[in-house]
Amino acid sequence: MSAEQHPSATNRRHRVEGPKNHYITYIVSIVLTMIAFAAVIYGGLSQAFLYAFLLIMALVQCMFQMAVWMHMKEKDHAYPIIGILFGVFVAIGGFLAAIFWMWW
Amino acid sequence: MANTHHADGVLPAEPEKATLEGKNKVLAFWLFLGGETVLFGTLFASFIALRNQVPSGPTGDQIFVLPMVAAATLILLTSSLTSVFATIAMHKHNLKAMLGWLTATVLLGLAFLGLEIYEFVEYVHEGHTFTSSAFGTSFYTLVGFHGAHVVFGIVWISLLIFQGMKKGLTVVTAPKFYVAGLYWHYVDVVWVFIFTVVYLMGKVG
Repeated sequence: MSAEQHPSATNRRHRVEGPKNHYITYIVSIVLTMIAFAAVIYGGLSQAFLYAFLLIMALVQCMFQMAVWMHMKEKDHAYPIIGILFGVFVAIGGFLAAIFWMWW
Repeated sequence: MANTHHADGVLPAEPEKATLEGKNKVLAFWLFLGGETVLFGTLFASFIALRNQVPSGPTGDQIFVLPMVAAATLILLTSSLTSVFATIAMHKHNLKAMLGWLTATVLLGLAFLGLEIYEFVEYVHEGHTFTSSAFGTSFYTLVGFHGAHVVFGIVWISLLIFQGMKKGLTVVTAPKFYVAGLYWHYVDVVWVFIFTVVYLMGKVG
């Protein structure tokens, strides 16, 4: 077993990623979450505005986490992106259908 | 089966993608996550359609406690960070650090789960049950399904920790650790939408 061995010189072309981007994503996620909570707790904002605002906060946080933590920003991720986008497409379709049936 | 990619016995830099089997596992897992998106999409859709149907029992605005939701969010977010650190440690071929970060992830997952169980018990005491209203049914289905995903992740990653201790880091075991990390991040991403749509929008009205 070579678990404790270090990458040899032949592997140097692969840079080992540092934790910096992951810390940034963590902090961005916490800040976005705090803004969302604060908007609900302190804001005298209108309902429609809050719904849209909260959804945008969630989407931005989701994109950050998927791009950095789930490595989607790295190369060779075309098929994973197609796969997950197809899931999102079907989910939104089902979502709109349910709301259409129930509310109109 | 050969444990390493190179003839000299050195683990490649990205061991999870060193074999075709590993590459296929990662891709297939993304397709599975696409399917999971559809599953949670339907649960969110039914929750949004039914969340104001409360003929009896309390409404979300009456029972949700935001500080507790914030604490659960922070715990799960931190566990997502520790699981990405496990993947970094794996890329550095540091088995011990990887197992340590995975253990931290499991412990944080257990803390999240404990908080959620406590929350559900409180709600039942206040009359918010699975059968009290359509809101209750769709709430427990959606949030409970997410909780079940957390349970599955805890069991899965715990088993992987034992396997890692036994078999070490090889091109066979590496894809499993990588894919489990993806799963855990995904569960955290779903939670982002749960605290937004269920709890925060529930407080808005």
